[in-house]
Amino acid sequence: MRGLVSRPPGLLSRDLAALSAFGAVALSGVLPLPVLIIFPIVFVLSLLGVRPLAGRRTVSVIVLLVIGVGLFAAVALSTLDLVIAAVSFATLVTSHRMLAEPTPQASRQVLLSGLLLVSGGAALTGEALFALLLTTFFLTASWSLAWLVLARDEAVLAGGERQAVSRQLVVGSLTTLLLGVGFFVVFPRLSWNLANRRGSPGLGGVTGMSDTVKLGGGGDIKTSVRVAFRAELTPNPGVDELRAYWVGRHFDSFDGSEWTSSQRPLTPAGTVVLHRASRRSLGQLSQDIELTPAYGSRTLVAIDTPTFFARGRGVSVAGTQPMPLVHVPGDQVFGANEANTTTYMATSDGAAGVDQTEPSPAASGLPAGLDPRVAPLADELARGATTPLAIARQLEQELKRRYDYTLDLPGDVADPLADFLFVRRAGHCEDFATALSLMLRLKGIPSRLTTGFFGGERAGARYVVRAGDAHAWAEAYVDGAWVRLDATPDQGRAASGGRWAALVAQSWEQLEDWWRSRVVDYSFQDQLSFVRSLARPPAIAQTQSSTLSLPDGSAPRAVLVATGLAMLGVGVWLASRRRQASHPAADFLAEIERRLEARGLDVRSQPLEELSHQLSLAQHPLSQPLAQACRRYLEARFAGRPLTPAERSTLLAGLETPRR
Amino acid sequence: MRGLLARLRRALNPGRILRITPVGRIYLVLTIGIGVGALNTGNNLLYLVLGLLLGTIVVSGILSERVIWDLEVRRLMPDGVFADEPFPLRYEVRRKRGQAFALSIKESGSIASPGAWAPVVVGGQPVVVRTTATAPRRGPWALQAIEVATSFPFGIFEKIRTLRVSDTLLVYPRRGFACDPDGVDRTPPRGDSGSSRHRDGTADLADLRELAVGEDARRIHWGKTATTGKLIGVEREREERRQVTLSVDAGLSGEELDRACEDAAGQTALLLARGYDVGLDVGRRHLRPGHGAPHERRILSALALVGFGDER
Repeated sequence: MRGLVSRPPGLLSRDLAALSAFGAVALSGVLPLPVLIIFPIVFVLSLLGVRPLAGRRTVSVIVLLVIGVGLFAAVALSTLDLVIAAVSFATLVTSHRMLAEPTPQASRQVLLSGLLLVSGGAALTGEALFALLLTTFFLTASWSLAWLVLARDEAVLAGGERQAVSRQLVVGSLTTLLLGVGFFVVFPRLSWNLANRRGSPGLGGVTGMSDTVKLGGGGDIKTSVRVAFRAELTPNPGVDELRAYWVGRHFDSFDGSEWTSSQRPLTPAGTVVLHRASRRSLGQLSQDIELTPAYGSRTLVAIDTPTFFARGRGVSVAGTQPMPLVHVPGDQVFGANEANTTTYMATSDGAAGVDQTEPSPAASGLPAGLDPRVAPLADELARGATTPLAIARQLEQELKRRYDYTLDLPGDVADPLADFLFVRRAGHCEDFATALSLMLRLKGIPSRLTTGFFGGERAGARYVVRAGDAHAWAEAYVDGAWVRLDATPDQGRAASGGRWAALVAQSWEQLEDWWRSRVVDYSFQDQLSFVRSLARPPAIAQTQSSTLSLPDGSAPRAVLVATGLAMLGVGVWLASRRRQASHPAADFLAEIERRLEARGLDVRSQPLEELSHQLSLAQHPLSQPLAQACRRYLEARFAGRPLTPAERSTLLAGLETPRR
Repeated sequence: MRGLLARLRRALNPGRILRITPVGRIYLVLTIGIGVGALNTGNNLLYLVLGLLLGTIVVSGILSERVIWDLEVRRLMPDGVFADEPFPLRYEVRRKRGQAFALSIKESGSIASPGAWAPVVVGGQPVVVRTTATAPRRGPWALQAIEVATSFPFGIFEKIRTLRVSDTLLVYPRRGFACDPDGVDRTPPRGDSGSSRHRDGTADLADLRELAVGEDARRIHWGKTATTGKLIGVEREREERRQVTLSVDAGLSGEELDRACEDAAGQTALLLARGYDVGLDVGRRHLRPGHGAPHERRILSALALVGFGDER
C-alpha cells in the first residue's frame, strides 16, 4: 500500500483511464479470455507500484511482438476477427507500458493505447455503459496528461497551486465533454459504409432463438433480466403482469437430443398473413413490437396465436430501413435482414382453434433411440383419459405434478430425455415440453415444440419481456387445430431474477433505450430534424386556459439563460471586489510609465530611477523632465507633499513634449 | 484611427506559434484514423469518440491561450556578467488575474539558455523564476524578446508567445589571470587606504543636504526626509589612496581588442584588491581613479563597451 500512497497524482489517473478503456472493450464480451484475465492483474500490480518489466524492455518487447504476430496470424487464418485482434494487442501494449518504469513517456503511451482501446470498444459495443466508461476515460486521461505537463523537472506544487490546477482542469474537462457532445450532434452523418459491423449484443442477454433446440443445456438465460423486446398492445390490457405466451418458433423433428424444423422459408414479403381471425374472437390484439439488440435473433414473436405480421423496420447505424418479412410454413416469421433493433406490427387472436395448419409428417415421428420406458410411462400418465384432448390435458397435468423444475442441470448427457424422466426427475421448460410432445406422439397425437416467451411486465405504455422470460412448451394437433400445452411447473415459466434486480434492470433499460435512440441510432435524418427545429422553433401552444403556459423546451431555456445571467452577475461582482484603492502617487507613477512606454522606452525591466540615470548619462531630452517627475513622485509618496493637479499635469506634459 | 489600426495589426498577427508535440502528432494521427473509421462505418460511438477528441483539441487551444494571454514578463538583469561564464538570468512573471500554468520562459535571441520553468502563476502574485545563460563574448547584448511557451493543459500542443521586451545585457570581458601593469608600486598600502571596506561614500558622515536632481535615490536619508518634508541626501567622507590609471588602445580591433580589455579587467581586479584607486583611459572615455565595487563595475562596463561605438 506504500506504493499506492506515494504515487504521483498523474499515475493514478493514468491507471484509472487505462481501466476505463479496458472496460469499454471488455463490455463487448468479445475479448479473448487470456486478455480478460491479464489486464485486471496488471492493473492491480500497477496500482501497488509493482513494475516487473522495469529494466527488461528488450525482452518484454520481443515477447509482446511474438504475441502480436500470433494474434494477427490468427486473423490471417480467419480464426480471429481483425478488430478483436487489434484491441487485444492494444490491451497487451497498455499492460506492458503500465508495468514498465513509470516515466512520462510510458504514461503517455498508456493513454494513447487506451484511446485505441476506447475506439475498439466503440466499434464493438453499443451499450449505455460505454458512455460512462468513455466519460471516465476522457476525464482521467485529461487529468493524467495535465499532471504530466505540470510535473516537469519534478516541480512540487503547493496546496493552493494544486487547487488552482484542479479547478482549471475540471472546467477544461467539462468543456471538453460539452464540445464533444456538440461535435457529435453536428458532425454530418455522411457514411461511406464500406466496412460496417453489426453491433454486438453486449454483456448478458441473447435469448437463444436459434434454428434448433438442443436438450441438455443449462438454463442460464432464465436468470437474465435484460429486455429482449418491448411491445405496445392495442387494446391495452391494463394489467401489470401480462402472463402471455409469445410465440417464436415451432419445431416438429426430434432426433433424441435436438429439435429441428422440417419447414422451408418462402419468399420475403412486406406482410405475412398466417391465419384468418376466429369467428369466436371478439377482436384482434394488435402489437407494435421492438426487438432489442439483446434479443439476438431474426425470429419475430407475437402473442399466441399470431395471425398477421407487417411494417417491418430494421434500425442499424445506417438508419431505419424497411425490413422484408420471411414466412416459414408452420407459423414462423422472421426478418430478412440483420439489424441492431427490429420493429414490426403483429396481430394475434386469443381464441382457441385459430391455428388449423395441417401437421407435417415429422410432427408424428419418434426418434430412433427413444428409451423403451417412455411409452409405458406415457400410458401410465394418460390412464383413464379417452379423447385426444383429455389425454393431452392429463399428460400436461401429470408431468407438471410429478416432476420438478430446476435450472441446475448436468450439461450434455447421452439421453437427456431419459435423464430427465427417470434419473433426475427434474428439468427446465425444454425438458418438460419435449417429454410432453413425445408422449403425445406415443399416444397418436401429432405434436410440436414451440419456443418463445412467457410473461410481460408493464413499463409505462408498453410491456417489456426479458431474456429470462424465454420459454418452451408443446402444442398438440387435436380436433383439427393446434392446442397449447405447458407442462412446466408455474415457477419455471417466467424469468427467475429477483424483484430488485428487475427494478434496477428496468431503470437501466430505460436509460439504454434513450441511449440507443438518441446516440447509437442517431442519423442524418435526426440531424435534419434538429436543424429544422432550430430554424422553426415550436409555436406556443394555444390553450383555452387563461393561465400563461410555456412552450415545450422554454422552461429549460429560461433556466439556462437565468443561470448564465446569474453567473455573469457573480463574475462582475467578483471582479469589482478585486479592485483596490491605490495611492494617488502610485497612479502618477503608472501614468509616467505609460507615457515613457508610449515613447518607446523600456520601463518594465528596470527601476525608474535607473532609467532616469541612464537617460541623463545619454543626455536624452527626456532626462530632465523625468528626473523632476521622479523626484516629485518620491516626495509625494514618502515626504508627505502631495501633488496638485496642476503640478501633475505640468510634469506629465513635460514627458509628452521633450525639450530640445 | 491609429489605435484601431494597431489593434487590427495585433489581431492579425497575434504573435503566437503553435507547435505540435511528439505525443500530439500521435494524437492527431489517431484522431484522423478514428474520424475515417467513423465516416467509413457510420458508427455513432466512433463519432462520439471523435467529438471528444476534437473537443479536447479545441479546449487545449482555449486553455493554452488563456494561460499565455495577459501575461507580463520582465527580466531581472544580473549585476555583473562575464563573458563565457554561466550567469543566472531571472524573470519576473505576473498576470493581473486568473492563473497561468506550465510556463517555459526563454530568450528569443542569441543568448544560450535552457529556459526557466514556472509551473503556476497566480493572478496578482508575481513569480520570479530563473535559468542559467551564457554569453560567448564581451559587449552590449541586445535582448529583444522573450519566448513564453506552454503545453498546458494536455501536452498535445505547445503554444508559444513572443513578448517584445528590450533590454541590454552588458557582458564584461572574460575573467582570467592578469599581470601587474608597469610602474605599479608593489608595496602594501598604508593605513586604511587599502581596505576594501572603506569604499567611496561609506566613510564617516560628513553632511546632510537636499538631494540634487538626478542624484542616486539610495543616498536618501529616509528618516530626515520624512521629518523635514523634502528629500534629504547623505554625504560621507573619502580617504586618500594610491592611484593607477590603466589604458586600452581603442585603435585595436577584434580578438586583440578583446584580449586587451580582458587584461585591463584582470588588472583592475588585482589592483583594487591591493588597495589602489584605479582609473581607465580608453579612447575618448576617461574614468577618474576610484575604488570599490561600483567603481570596478564602471570600469568593467567601459571595457565591455570598447569597440562598440559607445565609449562615452
